[in-house]
Amino acid sequence: MARLWKFFGRFLRHKRPLFLGFLTIPIAALLDVRITVMIGEALDRMRGASDTEFLEGLFWMVLLIALVRGVFRFLQRWWLVCVSRYVEVDLKQDLFDQLTRLSFSFHDKSLSGDIASRLTSDVENIRMFLGPGLMYVAGALVMVPAALFTLIGLSPWLTLSMLLPMLAMGLGIQLLTPRLHRHSTAVQEKQAEISHIAQESFGGIRVVKGYGLEESRARRLERVSAENLGHQLGFARARGLSHAITETSHALTFLPILLVGGLALIDRTLEVGALFQFIDLTFKVFWPVIALGWMAGLYPRALSSARRIDELLGEQPEIRDPEQPTAPPRIQGALRFEQVEFRYPAAAAPALADIDISVAPGAMLGVVGPTGAGKSTLLGLIGRLHDPTAGAVKLDGFDVRRLELATLRRALGYVPQDSFLFSETYRDNVQFGSPEPLTDASVHELVATAGMAQEVARFPAGLDQLIGERGVTLSGGQRQRTCIARALAREPRVLVLDDCLSAVDTETEARLLENLRRAGSGRTLVVAAHRLSTVKHADEIVVIERGRISARGTHAQLLRSSDWYRETWRIQQAREELLAS
Amino acid sequence: MSGHQELDEDKRGTLDRALLWRLVRFARPHARQFVWSFLVLALVFALELAGPGLLRGAIDGPVGAAIAAREFEGAAFEPQPYVRELWWWAGAYLLVALLGFAFRYLEVAQLTRAGQLVVHDLRRRLYEHIQRLDVAWFDRRPTGGLVTRVTSDVESLAEMFTTGLVTLSFDLVKIGALLVVLFWLDWRLAGIAVALTPVLIGISMVFRGGAREAHRLVRRRLSESNGYLQEALQGIRVVQMFGREKLVSQRFAGHLSRYLSANVRTVLLFALFFPAIDWVVTLIQASSVRFGGTRIAQGELSYGLFLQFWFYLAMLLDPIRELGERYNVLQSAFAAAERIFGILDTQPTLKSNLRALDGPAPAPLSGPGHVRFEKVSFAYGSGPEVLTEVDFEIPPGHTIALVGATGSGKSTIVNLLLGFYEPTRGRILIDGVDLRELDARAWRARLGLVLQEDFLFAGTVRENLVLERAAVSADSLDLALEGSCSRELVERLPGGLDAPVAERGATLSTGERELLSMARALAGSPRLIVLDEATASVDSATEARIERATHSLLEHRSALVVAHRLSTVRRAHQILVLHRGQLRERGSHATLLSLGGLYARLHAMQFTDEPLLTSTDPLTSSPAR
Repeated sequence: MARLWKFFGRFLRHKRPLFLGFLTIPIAALLDVRITVMIGEALDRMRGASDTEFLEGLFWMVLLIALVRGVFRFLQRWWLVCVSRYVEVDLKQDLFDQLTRLSFSFHDKSLSGDIASRLTSDVENIRMFLGPGLMYVAGALVMVPAALFTLIGLSPWLTLSMLLPMLAMGLGIQLLTPRLHRHSTAVQEKQAEISHIAQESFGGIRVVKGYGLEESRARRLERVSAENLGHQLGFARARGLSHAITETSHALTFLPILLVGGLALIDRTLEVGALFQFIDLTFKVFWPVIALGWMAGLYPRALSSARRIDELLGEQPEIRDPEQPTAPPRIQGALRFEQVEFRYPAAAAPALADIDISVAPGAMLGVVGPTGAGKSTLLGLIGRLHDPTAGAVKLDGFDVRRLELATLRRALGYVPQDSFLFSETYRDNVQFGSPEPLTDASVHELVATAGMAQEVARFPAGLDQLIGERGVTLSGGQRQRTCIARALAREPRVLVLDDCLSAVDTETEARLLENLRRAGSGRTLVVAAHRLSTVKHADEIVVIERGRISARGTHAQLLRSSDWYRETWRIQQAREELLAS
Repeated sequence: MSGHQELDEDKRGTLDRALLWRLVRFARPHARQFVWSFLVLALVFALELAGPGLLRGAIDGPVGAAIAAREFEGAAFEPQPYVRELWWWAGAYLLVALLGFAFRYLEVAQLTRAGQLVVHDLRRRLYEHIQRLDVAWFDRRPTGGLVTRVTSDVESLAEMFTTGLVTLSFDLVKIGALLVVLFWLDWRLAGIAVALTPVLIGISMVFRGGAREAHRLVRRRLSESNGYLQEALQGIRVVQMFGREKLVSQRFAGHLSRYLSANVRTVLLFALFFPAIDWVVTLIQASSVRFGGTRIAQGELSYGLFLQFWFYLAMLLDPIRELGERYNVLQSAFAAAERIFGILDTQPTLKSNLRALDGPAPAPLSGPGHVRFEKVSFAYGSGPEVLTEVDFEIPPGHTIALVGATGSGKSTIVNLLLGFYEPTRGRILIDGVDLRELDARAWRARLGLVLQEDFLFAGTVRENLVLERAAVSADSLDLALEGSCSRELVERLPGGLDAPVAERGATLSTGERELLSMARALAGSPRLIVLDEATASVDSATEARIERATHSLLEHRSALVVAHRLSTVRRAHQILVLHRGQLRERGSHATLLSLGGLYARLHAMQFTDEPLLTSTDPLTSSPAR
């Protein structure tokens, strides 16, 4: 509960509507009780009355009170539910900010789909419980005592006997809860199973048809669907019981009214008007009581959601600014890897070891090697996506961990392997790279440098063209070149290209590399590539195999010294020729 | 992606009559269940009506009589007989309440039963229908959407049969019946309720209609903000490397504030709806007090009847309040129904698939299985030709290797041979009979398949190897494990043959999966092997095992192999070299090499000891992990 109260603190940031909203609850409830009492009293006055003028007044009075009650109920919902929505949005924003702060190692081990659904459903669980939930509880906590107070004054015995069916209901539902929970879990599991079977069969339709598995798969689905049916029926029986308990105890509340009330009427210790008050207040109290039960059901879910969200908010980013950062005057772009080792958490072998490289400002380093050898990991160390487990990466002689993250990353232009772009306009995607607003002219210039000018000119909306799902779909090569334009927009001192030219043909690639060298006079280039032609002109090329540097040198030197390099070069040349034929 | 789908799912169904009748036809086999449901609902309703009737009986009967008698008799009044009668009324009320318990239980249980039986039926039929459709049809559709059809769409139809049709129509019956009963009890009092009921129904429909629109907007905005979140997380490296955390945070805030404003609209609607309905209800109640009161005073109306009237008013209002909501359920279920029927109306276009549905018995398979491609051409849909006039044969016992660069048409040939697609020109003959005339399933049953995308199903290793084929015996399974060099692998798994396999075989390595799919193919003692060798690199021990397994797979059998291993092409009787959909060279390994043409170049590039990754698509190659 303490954990949930902590979240309630977020509700308290909206003091006025929260306070006013809770204030309306007792007013509306008391007015509601008042209407019943007025009608009940009038019923007694009617008997044998010759003058029924007072009914006219009562009619308007009741309507007026009902109107005021309506206004308060409107305000109650409006204020309290709105507050819960504000809190939802605040919380989501905080979670989002936290997620963008967390280091890549966190995101590496969590699935983005998971996080998004957690964000939505966990926040909703908390909102439901502390927002509308608390509102209903407060309503019940006012309505029930108010009604009981009125009724006890009329007849204590009748009031007490009325409570029995309600207590029985509470008990019955309590007993049923585990059963309901069990069946609903079973139903969910079976539905997940059905969806897995369908996923497997439809996704692997070639395998299913190829092996003639149609019938056996259909039988399998039928079996699970039948099991689902069984659990559905079990669940329905449990729900039926809970429905029956609720409705019957509602009906049974009127039994003491009939019997005890009837006896009291005969004894003349009670009037018909009082009996009416019992009946009408029973109607009015019953549903708030049900809401209490509903809240009790929400509690465990809200609690576990609160725990998960707390955990996420409490997570510390591994990669942080140093406490006392060094501030270099102007970054030149000299890069050094000193005895660098990197090991993924819980991995047996290091992903990188014994890495010693130095790159002079303005020079180009090529990184090649088989897939999975550690090229991307190596490049990620420069911008501190990860920190080395031993050794150091230095920029202009400063350990990158001693620099402020903003300073370090400001100096880098990074082009990722997956050529990630946002589903936004083309301009926004290029602008993303630059901390300062770019003019149209400079965006066009960047686009031209990246070799995308022709394509952009063909966009129906020019630079304002939406790309991605809702706009035009870019080819792999176009995405890669756009990512380069984005990186260039920072005017970086060090440009890091992580195998980002693979979908660009060799001719364009050569032109692009030429552009990059010319555009960034004095800019350091670090290029990882599958295709060796990409790094052919690099000042130094390192061959990484299984996390270690197996050979290094210029293109010409490596053709002589590295078997892997020579063989790969030969194969790739053969493929080029073949494609050209 | 998911955002779009969600919106699509949210489309409003049109309530058209043809669709409704079609749905009713689906429910027809379970008509009895639905009749029972109506019966139970009617009984519950009758019991609901009976309770207040008994209350009135007690108050107007013994209680009223006792009060009158006491006034008349004064001190001589003897309450005993009245009290006794009151006990009888209370007993009757208790009985009604307890009966109500039983029928209320049945109400939920029976209604769900009816709906779920229809769901189970429909799901089975839909699934079987989908499985029969052309492979081409699947190739054009994301799997996720199809899965939704047999899961949530079918479920929402159940909702329609129960909440939608049965409850909604019974609610209408209830409202009508209650109005009649109220009228019958006292037409003057009922007049007010009758006059105001349309107002209530109107409010309910208008507000719920508005709420539906507002909810759709909320859902769309929510899926937009979730979509942005997912995108930002996907690009988290870029966001952090470019130091743009603040920028994406602002963008997300924009999405959230649009979501919030949509939400505030629904809050407003609901905040207005409940008090508005309540006020009209109070208006009805106050009017009955106003006019009923006068008549009570004049002795024309009894207290009991007034109370009964009060109860029935409460009973009338519940279904009216729910009306709009039920109508919404019905509409969204109609949208689901349209999507489901859309699929049920799709027919396979391939002759062999059509035949699986009905039609004449296909030609039996008895020959040795001589395969012949005769001037076979193929194009996907109206696209360009990906295969042009390909001619070749697979004589019994021969291994034919297909060689070519990515996109040269190798997998199209495999698709055609398996009957997943049909040639656009030319034909494929099996022992002289056109493949289109054969029963596709009988044909495939003779094949042993090892496909690139081959995966294992969730279940046990044994289930995956046997695949419910009659031809697989304990002996043939044993031989298959031996032949595919996978006995050691299976024995290493916890539980051996009964070891569990995760969905798509995710817990096994690529090499292990390939070995097991070879064992699976061998276990069926196939006549023709179709082998699409995997390109992924495996460790050298596994590589050696796969090579030996390939050897025993191809021995003494006909085979079509999409070859990536040097050892495989060397052993082939004939190698077919494909380039841009055409057969450019054919012959044995030695002759082709000496030719110094395409094959020689492909050989240099593809068949090396060092496995080289061929993936060039940046979207499928995974970042270093």
